Amino acid sequence: MPAGDGREGKDRKWVRRDSGPVVRPYAVTGGRTEPADGEVLDLIAVVVAVGRGGGATDDPIRLTPEHRKILRLCERPMTVADIASDTALPVGVVRVLLADLIMQDAVRVVRNRPAVQLPGNDVLKEILNGLRAL
Amino acid sequence: MGSARSDAAGTGGSDADASMLAAHKILIAGGFGAGKTTLVSAISEVRPLLTEERLSSAGAGLDNLRGVAGKTTTTVAMDFGRITISERLVLYLFGVPGQERFWFMWDELAYGALGAVVLADVRRLRDCFPSVNYFETRSLPFVVAINCFDDAPKYDPEEVRIALDLDPAVPALLCDARQLSSVKNVLTTLVESLSAGTQAERRMVSALPPV
Repeated sequence: MPAGDGREGKDRKWVRRDSGPVVRPYAVTGGRTEPADGEVLDLIAVVVAVGRGGGATDDPIRLTPEHRKILRLCERPMTVADIASDTALPVGVVRVLLADLIMQDAVRVVRNRPAVQLPGNDVLKEILNGLRAL
Repeated sequence: MGSARSDAAGTGGSDADASMLAAHKILIAGGFGAGKTTLVSAISEVRPLLTEERLSSAGAGLDNLRGVAGKTTTTVAMDFGRITISERLVLYLFGVPGQERFWFMWDELAYGALGAVVLADVRRLRDCFPSVNYFETRSLPFVVAINCFDDAPKYDPEEVRIALDLDPAVPALLCDARQLSSVKNVLTTLVESLSAGTQAERRMVSALPPV
């Protein structure tokens, strides 16, 4: 595969922004596809960084740029879906990286699974009013 | 992709904020081309969400694995919208892939969802049967929104209700998935049917968390 240099033109045209990432998704997890703590976070699980970003400097697993990106996003409470969307990483990858951060106490889970019970009428009413106000 | 966001979720990163953020989800289902993406983008900023899913046997014959025999996952893009109700309350819309080979994703998506919207296209009504069946068997509250495509014949929602053999507690209504006001109406109808309790009893309590 002739790589780059003077051949920017034709040969490389197929890799465009809309071609998606050129790195296999699980490359950023070192090939791991399962969260290290075995916990599968829900899409709307809420996580937050513990402390003010600095926490994880003595990291045993070495933080990758993706870990750091997630850590920055989690400076305020975020859902897994928002993190995945903001980082353009597949949800499965985000779960693996989040598990690393959770196991290092750099991030904690505020709420994992949504309640199976329907929220109370006050919450439903709040949602209704919010929708009507859009 | 949308990274700078200043909405929602409180202003700081304190634990107090954390304990106050509540996220809820509503699924948007329906056949291919029924208008799921249109509906989600009419009411929220729609963003792609990539899920790297294990290939299941459901994809056999559909996913061409020649030359990639070692491939065990596939990337599925889902529509995903976020509606900020208040600082501490966020509503998520997930457009769920309608094709049957993505069924394995549904259990996770449905778990803990407030309810679902099934978008129906009267020209291809049968395309929404699987979604209706799914939510009925899961006892997840839902509404059927008949997307009024310009060139589609007009039907009374009651006719559609009969054609789908819907439970009387399940609302069926007409909508235009392009119009904010119409989509609002669909979502509020769903939430109202939850608080009215008619559908609340349908709600699943025994769903197993996804693996």
